[in-house]
Amino acid sequence: MTYIGIIITFVFISNFILTQFLGLCPFIGVSRKMDSAVGMGFAVIFVMSMAALATWVIYHLILVPLSLEFLQTMTFILIIATLVQFVEMVIQKISPPLYKALGIYLPLITTNCAVMGIALIAVRSNYSALESFIAGFSAGVGFLLAILVMSSIREKLDTEWVPKPFRGIPIAFITAGLMALAFMAFDKALLKNLLG
Amino acid sequence: MKNILVSGGKLFIICAVAAVTLGGINAITEPAIKARKIQELNQALKALTPDAETSATEAVPDNPAIKAFYSVLKGGKTAGYILRIIGNGYSGEMKILARYERDGTIKSVKLMDNLETPGLGKKAEDPRYMEKFLRTGNRSRPVPVRKDMLQSAEADAITGATITFLGIARALAEGAQFVIEGEKKYAP
Amino acid sequence: MLHEFTKGLLKENPIFIIMLGLCPALAVSTQVVNALGMGAGVIFVLLGSNIFVSLLKDFIPEKIRIPSYIVIIASFVTIVDLVMQAYAPSLSRNLGVFVQLIVVNCIILGRAEAFANKRSLAESILDALGMGIGFTLGLLLISLIREVLGAGTITLFAVGSFDGVIRIPWLSSFPARVIGLATGALMVMGYLKALFNWLETKKEQSRQRDAVRSGL
Repeated sequence: MTYIGIIITFVFISNFILTQFLGLCPFIGVSRKMDSAVGMGFAVIFVMSMAALATWVIYHLILVPLSLEFLQTMTFILIIATLVQFVEMVIQKISPPLYKALGIYLPLITTNCAVMGIALIAVRSNYSALESFIAGFSAGVGFLLAILVMSSIREKLDTEWVPKPFRGIPIAFITAGLMALAFMAFDKALLKNLLG
Repeated sequence: MKNILVSGGKLFIICAVAAVTLGGINAITEPAIKARKIQELNQALKALTPDAETSATEAVPDNPAIKAFYSVLKGGKTAGYILRIIGNGYSGEMKILARYERDGTIKSVKLMDNLETPGLGKKAEDPRYMEKFLRTGNRSRPVPVRKDMLQSAEADAITGATITFLGIARALAEGAQFVIEGEKKYAP
Repeated sequence: MLHEFTKGLLKENPIFIIMLGLCPALAVSTQVVNALGMGAGVIFVLLGSNIFVSLLKDFIPEKIRIPSYIVIIASFVTIVDLVMQAYAPSLSRNLGVFVQLIVVNCIILGRAEAFANKRSLAESILDALGMGIGFTLGLLLISLIREVLGAGTITLFAVGSFDGVIRIPWLSSFPARVIGLATGALMVMGYLKALFNWLETKKEQSRQRDAVRSGL
């Protein structure tokens, strides 16, 4: 697949949240306010691109040559956990303001299905190192896009009247469902323009 | 200091025990997984050629799409080919097994492993999905690689799964090309 | 002690009340058979990790407990993945990447951290079974709604001449396909959560009424 194809696929067409439900917990949990949604979005982009690259390196340069592919799940989750810790320490050292903005979201990311998801999908799709990195980055951008739109809708929803049982999480899910419906349009329209 | 060593040692023990256990389980399941894959491939080959025999597999190096091919033998003569093709779908590779006549006409298609989303691209696993590709691929009727090359009923059926359709169509078209060129090269 | 088992079924149902492990819940709920397979996988991993975390609670130092739990959980997930690939290939194909994603299912790490590392072995086993079955029931409910309305079928295991698919007469000719797609999953989840909220408030109100009455 071409690089542009990968970007469009992961940002729009198979958006991780709205078509594959990966990263749904933080999507519902952290989308109340726009500021925190943006913070979470950028943290996810950062970790996902790093994780996709790091897991590619470990998988293809260590696990495959030693035919230890069955340790994939374990090594990937440990790489991601270590990576998140490492990123947290580096950001804390280099840029305290950035740490203040992203810091509280980073621990949550270890158990974010989206990060593990992109690592596994990149391996299953036989991506190269660069393709994996781009896939991770674009899936992260897709997450940011979705959570950004979601949080702005939810900020408006807060001022509207919603039937009592639907307040909070239920209406958030229904909103996400409607967004997913809108994202279905990307398939045909985009490809017609792109591929003729 | 001692604390760190003890913690590290304990973590190492847990990891080592886990890795050894998994190694053992892998040793049991790996042959079963391999045997299952071979069996699936053989079954698919049988399903594609109920009326003929197939030759041993011949690998195709240096071709990004076509991985291997088998000759279809009917009474000792080559009647066509089965190609193992890799197509690009929604979420990565799709393994396709397709039977061609000697002029490139598609006779039957089977979708093997794929990562398509259940409900969307998975429709392609339905045998009827492939009907629109059958009897195409030769000079007079090319493989439909765009939606406007389909009849409207068929085009409606793939709505929501255009990438899967394009992936399969392109892979099949490439396969037809491969068969036609191969025939030209080795024709007596 | 039986309470540790029953609480996961409804009162602390992982999907509808605690709302953990939602990604796989929605993704594999297109067919009933996938929900059952996923549920079985989660029950096995949850049981294994709860047992080992409970047994090793004095061996594992406080500082390295999270990485240790992750290693334990990942081992059980790998076992499920390998066994499924070898002996239930079609299920493994349908669930795809979501089998391996059990490792990041928050329910499992959550139960290890919040329950199994402080409780006895028996309690941890009951907790795992209750939570696992509660998760499966939740998944089953979502997948039943989605498959019946979205495809008009109920797909179970193929046995003998029965291909495992129950077709519902009228619905299977006019299914609302959108319910089987991503949109449907999110919407069904939203409406079910609203239903649970409504039931909760109903129960709360009747409890208050009872309290007032008995006060009189």
